[in-house]
Amino acid sequence: MTKGEWCMWGGGIAVLLLARPVAAQGGPAAPGFRAPVLSQSDTGKLKGPRQPIFFRHDIHAGQDRIPCMYCHYSAAISSEPGIPSVQTCIGCHQIINGTTDSHRAEITKIRSAWRDRSPPEWIRVYAVPDFVHFPHMRHIKVLGTDAASCANCHGEVAKQPRIYQVATLKMGWCVRCHVQRKVTQDCTACHF
Amino acid sequence: MTDAMNRRRFLKILGVTGGGAAALSGCGIGPEPTQRLLPYLVAPDDQIPGVATWYATTCRECAAGCGLRARVREGRAVKLEGNPDSPVNRGRLCARGQAGLQGLYNPDRITGPRLRGANGQLAETTWDKAIQLLAQKVADAKGKGIVFVTGHETGAFGDLVDEWMRAVGGRRIAFESFALEALREGNRLAFGTAAVPHYDFAAAKYIVSFGADFMETWLSPVEFQNAFTRAHAFAAGADSSMAKYVYVGPRLSLTGLSADEWIAAAPGTEGLLALAMAQVIVSRRLARSPADATRLGPSLAAHAPDKVAAQIGVDAKTIERLAREFAASGGGLAVAGGVAAQAANGVEIVAAVNLLNYVAGAVGRTVQFGPDLAQDAAGSYRQLAALRGDMAGGKVAVLLVHGANPAHADAAFAQALGKVLFKVSFSSDPDETARAADLVLPDLHPLEQWNDARPRAGVYALQQPVMAPVFPGTMHAGDAILRAAGRTGTFKDYLQTAWRDVHRRHGGGKSFEEFWTAALAHGGVYTEIATRSVRLGPGAIAAMGEAAPPFAEGDATAVVFPHPALHDGRGANKPWLQELPDPVSKITWHGWAEVHPETAGKWGVVNGDVVLLKSEAGEVRAPVWITPTVRPRVVAVPTGQGHVAYGRYAAGRSFNAFDLLPGEPNRAGGRTFVVAVKVTKTAEHVFLATTEGNAREHGHGIVNVLPLAQAQRLRPGKHVFEAEETPAYARGAEEGWAEAQREMAALGGYAGTHPRWAMAIDLSRCTGCSACVTACYAENNLATVGEELVRRHREMSWIRIERYFTGGKDGESLHAVTTPMLCQQCGNAPCEPVCPVFAAYHTPDGLNGQIYNRCIGTRYCSNNCPYKVRYFNWFNYAEPGGEFEAWPEPLQLLLNPDVTVREKGVMEKCTFCVQRIRGKQNEARLADRRLDDAELQFLPACAQGCPSEAIVFGDLNDPRSRVRQLSDNPRGYHVLAGLNTRPAIAYLAKVTAPSGGAA
Repeated sequence: MTKGEWCMWGGGIAVLLLARPVAAQGGPAAPGFRAPVLSQSDTGKLKGPRQPIFFRHDIHAGQDRIPCMYCHYSAAISSEPGIPSVQTCIGCHQIINGTTDSHRAEITKIRSAWRDRSPPEWIRVYAVPDFVHFPHMRHIKVLGTDAASCANCHGEVAKQPRIYQVATLKMGWCVRCHVQRKVTQDCTACHF
Repeated sequence: MTDAMNRRRFLKILGVTGGGAAALSGCGIGPEPTQRLLPYLVAPDDQIPGVATWYATTCRECAAGCGLRARVREGRAVKLEGNPDSPVNRGRLCARGQAGLQGLYNPDRITGPRLRGANGQLAETTWDKAIQLLAQKVADAKGKGIVFVTGHETGAFGDLVDEWMRAVGGRRIAFESFALEALREGNRLAFGTAAVPHYDFAAAKYIVSFGADFMETWLSPVEFQNAFTRAHAFAAGADSSMAKYVYVGPRLSLTGLSADEWIAAAPGTEGLLALAMAQVIVSRRLARSPADATRLGPSLAAHAPDKVAAQIGVDAKTIERLAREFAASGGGLAVAGGVAAQAANGVEIVAAVNLLNYVAGAVGRTVQFGPDLAQDAAGSYRQLAALRGDMAGGKVAVLLVHGANPAHADAAFAQALGKVLFKVSFSSDPDETARAADLVLPDLHPLEQWNDARPRAGVYALQQPVMAPVFPGTMHAGDAILRAAGRTGTFKDYLQTAWRDVHRRHGGGKSFEEFWTAALAHGGVYTEIATRSVRLGPGAIAAMGEAAPPFAEGDATAVVFPHPALHDGRGANKPWLQELPDPVSKITWHGWAEVHPETAGKWGVVNGDVVLLKSEAGEVRAPVWITPTVRPRVVAVPTGQGHVAYGRYAAGRSFNAFDLLPGEPNRAGGRTFVVAVKVTKTAEHVFLATTEGNAREHGHGIVNVLPLAQAQRLRPGKHVFEAEETPAYARGAEEGWAEAQREMAALGGYAGTHPRWAMAIDLSRCTGCSACVTACYAENNLATVGEELVRRHREMSWIRIERYFTGGKDGESLHAVTTPMLCQQCGNAPCEPVCPVFAAYHTPDGLNGQIYNRCIGTRYCSNNCPYKVRYFNWFNYAEPGGEFEAWPEPLQLLLNPDVTVREKGVMEKCTFCVQRIRGKQNEARLADRRLDDAELQFLPACAQGCPSEAIVFGDLNDPRSRVRQLSDNPRGYHVLAGLNTRPAIAYLAKVTAPSGGAA
């Protein structure tokens, strides 16, 4: 570990934020939903930052209907949703090779990450400033753990080939929901 | 945790997502920089991001062996708390224990093995080469003198070193600067055993400390302080409401501040006083003494009060009264130590105090031999002096040092180091001894390693690594020794082998694995040891002849005492401890010399004037602090400072008090800390870096004291200090204000039932030890600002201990009262209405919230705060490389991820640890239950750490809560109640047992 890496520990940060008015977009993809076939050349038009591996939430959460909590394992018990470990990916992708060349190319990347013991560095999409303390678990406790609940803030992840920020994550957006639901609007609920 | 490297790389990003322990970025407006999320390769099964894991281990900051629970977030320890399972500290922890984290993440730690090169400089080397060289040098030195100096080791590590030294023909000595040799020798003299017994403060009804600083540095401070307050705190209605506590000594220490009566005996005469008391008890048959005590009678006669009173400097009537009170209490406990045991005649003083206990029938009751403290492992100064002689005589070829810094404590030792051909240091701090070494093999920090401690018979305390090493280039000294000795296995294996023996005796039918796992979870194995009786030893009578002080007075007598926070200097490179005001003097960051006002007048010195103190051994230059807490003609100076190395916070600060001390051991084999000095005023003057405003509270009602008799008459519902909080002329205005509050509460979800968080602070428990202050620094990411800014009163301590003196004039006896001062969370807070941006506002649950990201730094709130408990960030203390950087790398790793680090221009303050309150509420909500008062009582960090359980937290709206009951106590009062601020903190007046003839 270099000095520089240690330094980064204390660097600027925030909490992944999920919060969105209840009335927001839809629920899980219907059974039988087929994610579109996309190649690298099709990705230019997609919203959201380009990730080191073209991980498709629309395939995993939409087409394959894997529950959100399978990978984001700590969202119901922690302020952090839990970013899946490479081992979680490999659990399936030891066997699953992908059906198209472009899928196979991406799956090869996670396998080499596992082999080289160098996890991919995802670009963070949902972030709030470090003076905001967002407890995921409290929101999951109320909303539930299914994709429709998560969609309150994260939108229809099950239909997003690439994740992008659907909510502003600004304080007004948080407060609007808290007003609608008649829950705490105390500043020290989040700021301390 | 299969791959530490990847895990840590993950943590550097995700760890921080766990709530950013990072500086506020500007006003928080504008796009955030791109952040990356680095996943684990394999998720560890004992860590969930965002959720704390607690590991039980043992504190190694002193030899008391307190149990620790380390709070670990995302793989790094962020807070240390006491382990409630440990019978030593019962879940409490002192300031030094709290500051262990700053040793772990210390920016000056040596990161890997170092070898002195041809150019005379220490240069990096590899472990393989270093260990090979060590083995080689030790093998070559066989028969030419190999000595291993360790600290106060009571467990397996000491055993391993002993084994190794036996195998290579060397010897081990333990070095502890304050080893209390006289305590062991005094016990041998009186009772024929050198064991140090267990002192049952909790059962005592009358406590006399002959210089024993049992709340700060003496034996087991947290344990004793906790037990002491059980006995000494006022409890209305109890049979014996409180034990009286008398402190005897030339200087009032932190331990002395709590005293109901201070007897300022001349230094070295404490033993005479004890004998005179014993004489009264025996001759008047005041207690049921053991049968053999009668043979003391004739010899004691020479020590009758009227014969020794003049020498002690205390009148005979007082001595007689003390003896009567001591005997009549039916539960007397006298302890000797500290300054008294470190005078040249310390052994005889301890023996005399033992006799006092014996004749009063205390031995076997409050003094229990059996569960003895492992004090013999502390070694003695005589051994070090002998080693120094051997070194100077070229009889030591290889010297190995671990866990001790004799080159700082003993100037002659530092010189003799030059005569040793090969010196090895296992220190991971660049201390004076390591700096002189030829080979440095940096050990892991105690929080990173396996080890154990057996602080007293029956207590087996385990130490386990609570996190991966901060510096992967460091190595467990036990592992390094095993490799150098050519043995297989790791130190953990060695430790487990040793523990198989504990398992055989205390396994209770469990398999070793089960036993080990359970021991790890509880922090160790705790068993009860039966007490044994002792009889007077053959030397008891002879000891009396020597009890008089042997030294002639020069200009003055210097008393060198261990600094309560820095101790012998081992804490000097921890900024929390440097910035922690000394509980008595309130001075930070430098040493001082305590001088009585009368003496100061004679010498013509004022506060801050530097005096030159010259003893036969050496000299120091110390700034004067004038105080009534020291006897005239006595100069008291703390150890702890004066490092020439040891790191950025320690090096080059004021003076090293050890320089005054003679190099020759005294009769006890210990060091003499009371020496005659010549005092010369110099032209130098320094501005003391003190946090004290005024030594007296001038009747403002900040602290209140009740005499015991009055306190006993109090009845529920009758508040003695009840102030008319709203005068008649203001009632109309207050009603209008209340109506406006109700209207506002209807907005924004304020209406409805909420808790009203509150605190009750019992001043009859507070000792001023300041553990709460350091706990707050640790929990709330408080910046240390350094000596210069403390002088400008810019320290950031959200909770401070205010120490006020009462009496001491016109023949009244001097008393001290200490009180924690923190945000009072006023119900009608002056800070709130003046904030133009609503950064200071009232939360529905009764806190004065401070929203850092809202604050624009007008400081109006601080101007308007009558308690002065708001703190402003004058600089960017979190800025890496900044002028006042508080957390140089890797110190920032101890930042609590649940609390925002504040930036320049932001006002900050105590919010009763709102992050802990929210955490508990989250916990309860997830489990669909209500918060229970029991889990709230010690929730804030200050209350959690407090060794005397003086601070209680809870919901004032819950009529059954403990805080409500305490707040309704007739001793309760609000500070500055007349301002109508309606504080949430109720203080309970201190109660003092009568001093003087009123008993």
